[in-house]
Amino acid sequence: MLDPAHGGVDLGARGTEGIHESEVVLQFALQAKQALEAQGFQVILTRQGNDNPSFDDRSARANAQRGAIFITLHIASTGLVGTVRTYVMTDFSPGSEATGLIPWDRAQAPFLGLSHKLGDLVQAEMAKRFRGSPPAAETAPVRQLRTTAAPAIAVEISSVVVQSRDDLDHMIPGVADAIAHGAAAFRPSYVVPGLPGGNPGAPL
Amino acid sequence: MNSRWQFWMGAALFVVVMGAALYFPSLRRQVYKAKDITEKTAAEARRELLPPAPVNSGDPKVKAKMFWGSREEDGTLAPVTVELPLSKDPVLRAKQILNTLLAGPVDPEARTLPSDAALLEFYILPDGTGIADFSEGLATGTPSGIQSEQLAVDSMTRTLQANVPQVQQLKILIHGQEVDTLAGHLDLTQTFQVSMKEAATPAPTGVSVITAPIQKAIEKVTGAAKK
Repeated sequence: MLDPAHGGVDLGARGTEGIHESEVVLQFALQAKQALEAQGFQVILTRQGNDNPSFDDRSARANAQRGAIFITLHIASTGLVGTVRTYVMTDFSPGSEATGLIPWDRAQAPFLGLSHKLGDLVQAEMAKRFRGSPPAAETAPVRQLRTTAAPAIAVEISSVVVQSRDDLDHMIPGVADAIAHGAAAFRPSYVVPGLPGGNPGAPL
Repeated sequence: MNSRWQFWMGAALFVVVMGAALYFPSLRRQVYKAKDITEKTAAEARRELLPPAPVNSGDPKVKAKMFWGSREEDGTLAPVTVELPLSKDPVLRAKQILNTLLAGPVDPEARTLPSDAALLEFYILPDGTGIADFSEGLATGTPSGIQSEQLAVDSMTRTLQANVPQVQQLKILIHGQEVDTLAGHLDLTQTFQVSMKEAATPAPTGVSVITAPIQKAIEKVTGAAKK
């Protein structure tokens, strides 16, 4: 599941030359979709146009897919231009309810280990392509990740404050390629509960 | 309709159109300028209405460690030591510390919190949870992005950890309300861990000179407290 963040009236970060995060991330997502499909993944986007599903709606779409991974794409307002950072949800307690069900607002907790692995693999690919990017994923309490019951990461590209929109457009193929290679490297280790032997053909 | 009348009507219309073309850009500039002034005044007025941070000039001056943005490493915080008169009461002390953080460092590029944000209230629950209630300026003025939002929150948690050990975790409210995110990314429905972060913090390299904005903030709140 690829999630171009923001959309609709929520423009996200706003930068030079009228650059809006919500519009740019859609371009990144479309290219990443193609790169992932070339690796044999099935890809669903949380939005394809200028609409703005809620955090919960986006998570719900991912949670309805068995064996999915979730990647939310963002453009930062700050940071060293031309770098990329991958984030994994900060550790938190899974909690529990009398029914044994996982609370919605803690849906990510059981997947944190897998999310870290996915994040590190994707970020390692980013670091190869974008000088100055950290070598491994970082942690942050990203709202979108918390309610997602799947290995989930946030990829943030720096930044909307560029000399020209071309500076961001030039990053699109590299980011897409890094996501596809990271996801492909992650696939063999993704064992979906209840499916012994893993699920190498997991839809994304 | 005779041709003479048509000529004068046309000429008048031309003059009106030309006048409007010349006047409208100027009018638009004036409207934008007036809007800026109004917004600035509203922010200033809100700040003026806030109860002064309870700084007492009689409080002993101590070396407080503040965490602002690092100029050397992108996306990280750097400790700066400043001398501040700080209360021994943890709630008052936390207010003084957060107001100093909001006042900002001497280098505006190292600022982690927006200049028009204001701390409305702060209190500590028996379990060590510090509740910080900020004006809308914190949400609207923090640059949107995971990195920038995390830097803003980390600057608060690490500064509180270094100076107010009674605060174990931090809950951030915006104008008394719990909100989903700070500026579109960072989850504000949960609390942020305050303790355990200091271990990873490098020791400060030296004592910085108290910066002008901080000094100004101290003078302002000290003056208000004396009144």
